[in-house]
Parts: sequence; C-alpha cells; structure tokens
Amino acid sequence: MSTFGAAAANHNPNKSFEVAQPPSDSISSLSFSPKANFLIATSWDNQVRCWEISRNGTAVASTPKASITHDQPVLCSTWKDDGMTVFSGGCDKQVKMWPLLSGGQPMTVAMHDAPIKEVAWIPEMNLLATGSWDKTLKYWDTRQSNPVHTQQLPDRCYALTVKYPLMVVGTADRNLIVFNLQNPQNEYKRVTSPLKYQTRCVAAFPDQQGFLVGSIEGRVGVHHLDDGQQGKNFTFKCHRDGSEIYSVNSLNFHPIHHTFATAGSDGAFNFWDKDSKQRLKAMSRCSQPIPCSTFNNDGSIFAYSVCYDWSKGAENHNPSTAKSYIFLHLPQESEVKGKPRVGTSGRK
Amino acid sequence: MHNKKEACRNFQRGSCQYGERCKFLHVIQQQPKSNAFGFGTQAISHQQQKPNPFGFGVQNNAQSKGVNDFGNKQSQFKNTWTRSSASSGAPSLRQPDNQPQATNHRCNDPESCKRIIAEDFEHERPLWKLTCYSHWKNSPCDIVGDVSYEELRAAAYDDAKRGLSLQSIIERERNLLNSKLVEFENFLRNPYRGPAGSAAAQQIPFPGATTTVLSPTTQNTVAPQSNVPPSVSSFSQLGASLNTGFSPGPSVQSNNASGQPTSFSNSAQSSNVFSANNVPSANASISTQNFSSSSIQSPAFLNVSLSNSEVVGREATNVQLGNNLPTTVASGDSNIWLKEKWTPGEIPEEAPPDAYV
Repeated sequence: MSTFGAAAANHNPNKSFEVAQPPSDSISSLSFSPKANFLIATSWDNQVRCWEISRNGTAVASTPKASITHDQPVLCSTWKDDGMTVFSGGCDKQVKMWPLLSGGQPMTVAMHDAPIKEVAWIPEMNLLATGSWDKTLKYWDTRQSNPVHTQQLPDRCYALTVKYPLMVVGTADRNLIVFNLQNPQNEYKRVTSPLKYQTRCVAAFPDQQGFLVGSIEGRVGVHHLDDGQQGKNFTFKCHRDGSEIYSVNSLNFHPIHHTFATAGSDGAFNFWDKDSKQRLKAMSRCSQPIPCSTFNNDGSIFAYSVCYDWSKGAENHNPSTAKSYIFLHLPQESEVKGKPRVGTSGRK
Repeated sequence: MHNKKEACRNFQRGSCQYGERCKFLHVIQQQPKSNAFGFGTQAISHQQQKPNPFGFGVQNNAQSKGVNDFGNKQSQFKNTWTRSSASSGAPSLRQPDNQPQATNHRCNDPESCKRIIAEDFEHERPLWKLTCYSHWKNSPCDIVGDVSYEELRAAAYDDAKRGLSLQSIIERERNLLNSKLVEFENFLRNPYRGPAGSAAAQQIPFPGATTTVLSPTTQNTVAPQSNVPPSVSSFSQLGASLNTGFSPGPSVQSNNASGQPTSFSNSAQSSNVFSANNVPSANASISTQNFSSSSIQSPAFLNVSLSNSEVVGREATNVQLGNNLPTTVASGDSNIWLKEKWTPGEIPEEAPPDAYV
C-alpha cells in the first residue's frame, strides 16, 4: 500500500526534471528526435509542442521551441529520420507533416476515415505508416495525396511498432499482426495475443526476433517470431498493487542496452531485462497515471508524462484541476544495463 | 541428492534426457517462483501436448546467451523471412500460422476451463472493464468489444463539444460499463453458450478462422474525402461509429481476398467502387447508414448479452431490442431519450433526434 501522505512532491516522487510549460491537457504521445534532444509532445488540448532539452552535466533544462495546432486532440507523433520534420496525427483523422527545424509550416499528408492512433516513419521505404480506428493501415509517400498502399486490419489499430523490416500492429480484440516490410502487402503472421485482455502497447525487439505486448491487465508478453524460439516466450506481471490491476501503457526499448521500460496507469515506470528475466529497477509511483514515455536517441534521457489517461472514465476527469506533467529521468547505468541472472547454474 | 528447487526447462518443453537422474524438478505446472512477477514459460501445458518439432532437448539456438548474439540472430531472422517470402504470393497460407503454442485450444476439459474463467474473474480482473477477454492465451476472444481509453475519451470530448454536460457523459459511460459487466457476468455463468461461437458471429473477420484466408489485401483506395463524418453522438453508437469508416467491411474483404494481384508500387489503380460507396455512406446521415452497419457490426457486446440474456430469461429486454433493431428510433419509442438510466438491451443504436439533444 503506497501512502502518498501529504508530501508535496507527490507528483514527482522520482525527483525527475520537470519540463517547462507542459500542455494544458493530457499528453498522448512523446517523441524524441533521432538526431538531437528535441522532444515532441502531443496532447488532448489539440497541440503539438516542441522543446529543446539541454544537459549540463547532471542538470537538465527544457526550452519551449514551437507548437502547432490540430482541430482535434492529437494522439500520435513521430520524427522523420533526418531529425528535421515531425509527423502528428489524431482525432481530426489527419496526419500533419511539420518541418519544424527548417521553420516550415505544417501540411496534411495523410487521411483516414476515423481517428489516427499510430504513426511511424519508415526510412528504409521512405514512407509513412499510419494506423487508424477505421481498421486500416496505410502507407504514404508524403508527396502524394493518395496512400501508396492500404492494408486491411482485422480491427481497430491500437498499437504499432516498427524495427525494419519487422512491424507489429496490435488491434482491438487481441489481434497482433506481424509484417515483413520487405513484403508489406502480405501479413507475415497473425498472432492472437498471449495476454487475455485488451492490447495496449507493443514494442519490437531491437534484434527483430520478436516483440513485447502490454495489456490492460498489468501484464507484458514476450513473444518470439520464429517457431523454434516459441519456448522462450513468457509473460510477466507488473503494475499491480495488491488486487488492483493497472494497465501497461507504454513499452520502450533502450536504444543501446536493449533492456526495456514499462510505464503504467498506476503511475509507475520500471526497467526490465527480458534476457535475464528480471526487473532492473522499480521507480516510485506518481500520483497520476503515465500514459506515454520514450527514450531519447542514446538512452540517456527517459521522458515520461504524468497525467490522466482516462483509465477510470470521465468521472475522474476534472478539467479545472487536472494537471499534466512531462518529466525527464536520467537513467543510471544500473537501471538500464542488462544483468546476468543471479543464481543461475551454468546449465545449458 | 540434489536440492531440486528449479524446474527443468527441458521437461517443460517436452522431454528431458536425464529423466529421473535430472537434477532439476520435473514438474508439469509452472513453479511459482519467488519472483513476484511470475516469470516463467507461458505455454507449459500446451507444450505438453505438442511435441517439439525440432526434437527434444535440442537447443534451437534459443538459449539466450545474453544480449551479445545480435549478429547471429540477425542472419537467422533474415534467412527465415527471405525463405518464406521468396516462395510466392501468400506466405500466410503456407506457413503454419497457428503456432504450436497457439490457438488449438479446444476446451477439451470444460470443467477446468470454467475454473480458469472463475479464477480469472476472481483474481485477474483489470481495473479497465471495457475490454475483450479470452480464457486461454493465444486463443480467440470469448468476449469481444474492446473499447480503449482513447476511444472513450475521444467520444467524451466529442460529446462535450456538442454541449453535453459532464454528468450525462458520465451516465453514458456508466451504461456502457454496466452492459459490459453484465456480459462478463453472463459469460461466467454460461461460458459454453458458445462463447467463441456467438462472439465470432458478431465479428466479421474473427481472428481464428480467417488467418489462413486473409492474405493479400492489396487494396489501393482513393484518398479519403476530407469531409468529416459527424462525430459520435452517443455512447450507444460507440461501437457502430467506430466501425463507421468501414461499414461494408465484410463484403470488401471477401472481394479483395478473391485475388487482386496489384503490385505494391502501383498506386494509380484503385478500387473506386469500394471507396466511393464507403466514404460517402460513412458521411451520409448517420441514422440510416450507421444503422445498417450497426446491424452487422453493432456493439458486439450488446448482441452477445442479448443471446445470454435470453438464457437468463430476460424476455422483456429481448423483445424490446428485437423491436428496436430493425426499426428506426423515430418510429420506436422516443421516450428512450428521456430516460435517465438505460438497461442493457434498451440502448438505442442511433443518434438521438435533434429534439432530444
């Protein structure tokens, strides 16, 4: 039982750095530039904001840089591989391409029939992939107004992860579709989730051997693609407090160490090592859920948002008092570096 | 004597060459490790049934040697994929899509499955209730009708924009929640009123059966129109409107599956007929179009609970829903909109007429 007591530091129990001028409503996605420490946050207040994050030793500073507006809440974002352009999409059923580093204006490059939940830039194909609640996945050449290809999904897209040539799409009703982007028109494999409840997030292994899937039942599944590696599949429980079972909202692999972080509706984030099957570090619970998180390009900064994720419906939403935060955590090596399993005998 | 603390991995995978001499525990079920997270191989009992096709005890390069094996794994990955994609059109047809660990669960022992369900509902109920459910990993859902946080929130924001009070939004959400809870209750009591069957009947491409059929869906649609379809006007429509973009979903898919070998790079071709029908119909008056879509893909949980409620004997609700389904709200009882609380089954499929908004 965590007692929050009267501590004023409730909203930041991990003493992370707080990003200046956070959005006025919940944050739906966070994205770091692949080239530099620019952070993008999309929000339910219809805005896409950019900060420049600078580090001076152990001190971290955030400088608001620019923002654009959509007509409706923005749900997803990603950077182009050149670190110059940002894509953002959401309830307005469009994706805007924003060449922010060159000072350009945003333009619409993708459209769907229903809100766009996920967006991913695939540099090897020079295409943008968008997943929507209209049960399709579309590929876009940003110079054309028609999608290059439309892929039917069995249900609404809930989660997307790309690690070329592996792409995994998580949909409603526990479908997980695996694609080989070298042959994107065909589903490589369709897996029904190893978890029993709604899929919340997916993350592809950096070595493309499989993927992680997180659900609303405080569980993460580790799934390998190759038939011969099915024996290595397992699931583990996390983000639970007594009998309360929270959802896992975000899965992020560390770009260097290939360990991963989970963030949940319980307001906690943890670091894990799937190869040695252990938790490396449990961080303190914040007073609100963490809907999204991300590592920067070299894993030296872990950004996470603390704000209401609707996990308890509209009744827990109080727009006048709700506060949204974005925090930056500097992971220590012990938190994110893989460890050999303690106590394993040398058996093979 | 060895202290047999740890479970034998080979045994759990199918067989261990050491047999009785083995210094690890030959146990079928998963050892609850002191690790609170329940780490351990998932599909233990599955693997008991399915012999490892690669031979027992063979280390399929699978033992993780830590994170240093990327080079090996990389090429392993590439080889597999090139092999299967090189052999023409539809790899998912050739490939055993249903993995050894997957979907062949047939509820051979309904009693133990019932126990699993009861256990799950007792101890593993997540805080978020608007979810699908399956009592067996990798198996199709027993209860369908996922609603995600973002979908619920988007609907609430749309409602708020249209002027609905927070209170009525909360009411609507609660009704949604209650119908879902009823559905779970009914499933718990009667899991074998065809859970997969009735769920499958509601869904169109349900995962289990169509995996082998649905491979090339090469459909090049015209870019969606920019006219914005009206937003969700009530939670009862949540399921229907979420499917708005794809109302003629099922027929489309069967069309595509019947072989349209358009190449990936060919973007000029488009199945205009499909998109022309689809998009405007999505935009057109919600009352008729969504209605037809809802008869196909209405919030699945409503229909399922209907069949279950028949069992439980809620005739009145049954009849009412039966009446509402084929008729428009305008001719039905419009008092429904004045009600404070809706019982499951009463929830109208369509938007309230403007008078009641």
